[in-house]
Amino acid sequence: MRPRWKKVLADLWDNKARSLLVIFSIAIGVLAIGVITGTYIIIDTDMSLNYAAHNPANLELRTSSFDEDLLATIRHHRGVAAAEARRVIPLRVRPQGAAEWTTFDVVAMQDFAANEINLLTPLSGRAAAERGEVVLEKDAAERTGLQPGDQIEVHLPDGAIRTLTVSGIVLDPTTSAADFLAAPLAYIHLDTLPDLHQPQTFNRLYVTLESGQDDLTHIRAMMAEIKQKVESNGYAVGLTRQSLTHQHPLADIVNAVLGILLALGVLILFLSSSLIANTLSALLQQHMRHIGVMKLVGGRNRQILALYLALMLAFGGLALAIAVPLGGRGAYALADFTAEELGFTLQGYRIVPLAMGVQVLVGILVPLIAGLGPVISGTRVTVLQAISGVQYANQQDGWVERTLLRLTSGLDRRGLHIPQPILLSIRNTFRNKRRLRLTLFTLTMGGAIFISVFNVRVSLYRFVEQTGNYFLADVTLDFNRSYRLDKVESYIMQVPGVEAVEGWTYANAQLLTSDGRTADNINILAPPARSTLVEPLLVEGRWMQPGDVRKIVISESIWDYYPDLHSGDTLRLKINGKEEEWEVVGIFKFVGIEGLLGYTPYEYLSRIKHTVNRSYSYRVVTLYHDRPYQEAMSKRLDAYMRDQGFDVHQARAGLSSLDDASDSLDVLITFLLIMALLTASVGGMGLAGTMGMNVLERTREIGILRAIGATDARIMGLVIAEGMFIGLISWALAVALSFPFSYLLSGIVSRAIFNTPIEVIFTPLGFGLWLLLVIVLSTIASTLPARNAARLTIREVLAYE
Amino acid sequence: MNASPLLEMRQVVKRYRTPAGAYPALKGLDLTVYPGEFLGILGKSGAGKSTLLNMITGVDRPTEGEIWMQTEEGRVGLHLLDEDALARWRGRNIGVVYQSFQLLPMLTLVENVMLPIDLSGDYHPRLSRQRALELLDMVELSAHAHKTPDLISGGQQQRVAIARALANDPALLVADEPTGSLDTVTADAIFTMFERLVQTGKTIIMVTHDQGLLPRFSRHLFLHDGQWTSPEEALS
Repeated sequence: MRPRWKKVLADLWDNKARSLLVIFSIAIGVLAIGVITGTYIIIDTDMSLNYAAHNPANLELRTSSFDEDLLATIRHHRGVAAAEARRVIPLRVRPQGAAEWTTFDVVAMQDFAANEINLLTPLSGRAAAERGEVVLEKDAAERTGLQPGDQIEVHLPDGAIRTLTVSGIVLDPTTSAADFLAAPLAYIHLDTLPDLHQPQTFNRLYVTLESGQDDLTHIRAMMAEIKQKVESNGYAVGLTRQSLTHQHPLADIVNAVLGILLALGVLILFLSSSLIANTLSALLQQHMRHIGVMKLVGGRNRQILALYLALMLAFGGLALAIAVPLGGRGAYALADFTAEELGFTLQGYRIVPLAMGVQVLVGILVPLIAGLGPVISGTRVTVLQAISGVQYANQQDGWVERTLLRLTSGLDRRGLHIPQPILLSIRNTFRNKRRLRLTLFTLTMGGAIFISVFNVRVSLYRFVEQTGNYFLADVTLDFNRSYRLDKVESYIMQVPGVEAVEGWTYANAQLLTSDGRTADNINILAPPARSTLVEPLLVEGRWMQPGDVRKIVISESIWDYYPDLHSGDTLRLKINGKEEEWEVVGIFKFVGIEGLLGYTPYEYLSRIKHTVNRSYSYRVVTLYHDRPYQEAMSKRLDAYMRDQGFDVHQARAGLSSLDDASDSLDVLITFLLIMALLTASVGGMGLAGTMGMNVLERTREIGILRAIGATDARIMGLVIAEGMFIGLISWALAVALSFPFSYLLSGIVSRAIFNTPIEVIFTPLGFGLWLLLVIVLSTIASTLPARNAARLTIREVLAYE
Repeated sequence: MNASPLLEMRQVVKRYRTPAGAYPALKGLDLTVYPGEFLGILGKSGAGKSTLLNMITGVDRPTEGEIWMQTEEGRVGLHLLDEDALARWRGRNIGVVYQSFQLLPMLTLVENVMLPIDLSGDYHPRLSRQRALELLDMVELSAHAHKTPDLISGGQQQRVAIARALANDPALLVADEPTGSLDTVTADAIFTMFERLVQTGKTIIMVTHDQGLLPRFSRHLFLHDGQWTSPEEALS
């Protein structure tokens, strides 16, 4: 091997700590990019592929009870490929002998074998249930720990308990794909319904289309036709939902979240490149004499440049050897975790060539770009500068040193003596300002992101909590038929702990375009005009008022259709087959992806629905508003109203609506925290590298200190204090930077998930945790160099050149 | 001397900029060196000896004046070359030996000697190794060829530095206090090695402050305050 290439190898091998630092700096950035890119590609492909493979319904309609006749009519409707009907009932269940009840959405299927829509993937046992059996969705099985063969108890509305046998566990990636708030699913045969005191009728209609399965306009038009058909047959339609066949309903959100993670990955890469630049610049400084010697014996700039570029490529290559296999594994693991959380399956482990290509490109380019500056300036020095060290001998004190000197002298004159070792550590901190700047930059950015993630976390949870403003009722009590308001009220008010009750109604309306086509469906909720159970987050306009007629307050997702819509404008709505112009009086924020939501007074909507003074759905206010009390009151009201002969559909605690939304946020926050920890570790590595380089360059100085009596502990203390000082400066800067970062990150995340910006909340937790972490990181990062410094003998350090 | 000069310096001035103002290290020096000469340059510390050698080796540039050298490709004006051209010229035409040896610690002795050949690209790698081993044999270090510099003595390191200086068979060797950090016996052995090289036709310019070596140079000059001077003034 030629001597110059041997030198490259020796440079890699001789200072292993430095080489490892550079290699890990590159590897961590490349790994982050690889994992995110790989996950992005795997999920982008598999999520929708898996979804489409289960033949998802293009249309889903929640209706009043219907029978086979209506289903047959829909099946024969023009443009319908297939239609299936199911009965979905929320029931309280528990494993046999368990104490706690859980609410499942129990889906009664007509024929498991003939199932064509929203297909089920068998996981264990049988993917079908006979009479007296139940099939559990994976999520339901995981929550309860039930296995095929186990017994499950079902709490019937009349208080009776029925036992069903678990026949199998399945995966259902389609039925609740779009619903953050969905309950776990269980499937029974239609024949089991009488055992559960339920009629053998249907309340859900699932339809796939012959064509235009990925054309939202066509799907909306078909929804309008089918809805009209259902209503014209005398059935009421509640919530409707439409889906594209080849796009998972959450695909946009997941991709947006992965996009955010990718941006953070790029930032990590950027930070690691500043670390590489720092380390390579120190390496070049240490190699100045070598460069001088090579130039002295005939080495030209480009030859020396080539040597160091080769060194950087070697660093990149070694980093890739770590990051590519780990990135591939990590990408699949993260994709698998996401799939698990969102209820779909991946096609299987595979290498993603594009992600690998991106990693290779990044792994080679980043060290080259980051190191090019230091390498070019290092190789351009003259032989004289390189051999004599003149280039670095004339460093003069800057304003920081002068200010520090004036400050400490001033304090000294006033009798405030800063201990000399601390003074020395503080002054040492500012000696290599370029290095300090890069270290502070890396550590500060890492810290700012870390703190911001905590702020974003709190802001997101607060926003979800604010959604509770729309669910202020402590108990929601739904009946299977409508009852007179005064009758229900007179009964409910007799239950101890009940403070107030309101009857609500709802309607599903169609938003029409100017040419009469259906733009989308709107779910309209109608509380009494004076209801205190909604505290809306108004973006503009006003809330509903008594006397409002054809006036609606609408969720801000209306701006997806009418970006210029403001309060005072009108919308053309079709409700109960009647087309009317409605005035938008206000626009409000709402969490969720349920599409358009509107509020209008009960007094008016019940009139046009011909259900004046009657309602299916009641909101109850109780004495206390905590979750356990709400749960207890739900059970009490459920039991009481059933005892009184009411046909209760379900009673739910108000705060339970937010549980699953919070669970989904947890996944996102975990992702963000992983990225925050990665950025923090890059920062920590930067500090460790800087302290190592500082100690190495001050070997002679340390020898002098030891020669004049400094103990091992004192030397270590000096180095650790310097590391700590840098850490604390970076913390202060990170705190300042975390404010704009929190706004930025929270804006991006909330727009991706909720399609709306949210109010940013600042929590002391992030600031405190980062302070703690930065102190720990600083101590760890400077302890190793400090120990090395303390170990050097006086003879060694004074002989150092 | 009837042969054409190997090296010519004409009115070379070197001024350094310092915070206290311009400091003249060389004040219009003329120097002509002929092939086969063993020229000793003596002077006290700060006389400008090392600055002069830096001018000759192209390590530093004159502020004024001209430096010409006769090479196989013709007459070359060092003051006219850029850094890269100077490096290439230096690699082929000149060998430099410093007091502090300046060997690369991560390379073995043979690799240190091969380095100038490798950088010049004049030999095939196999031939360059063979030549480096021959040179190490010449300085009686072939037995240590595969050791790194930290495993041999200072005197041995200096012999390796001489072998490296000869790697591309340059016409001129320049040595800056090559025996300055060695004990008397080792220093004498090194000097004898230089004498033998002169006998084989090499031209050597050596800077030293050791007056005891004066009789062993074929010619010597005294430098004082950046100017040629008499022995009395130079050493007073």
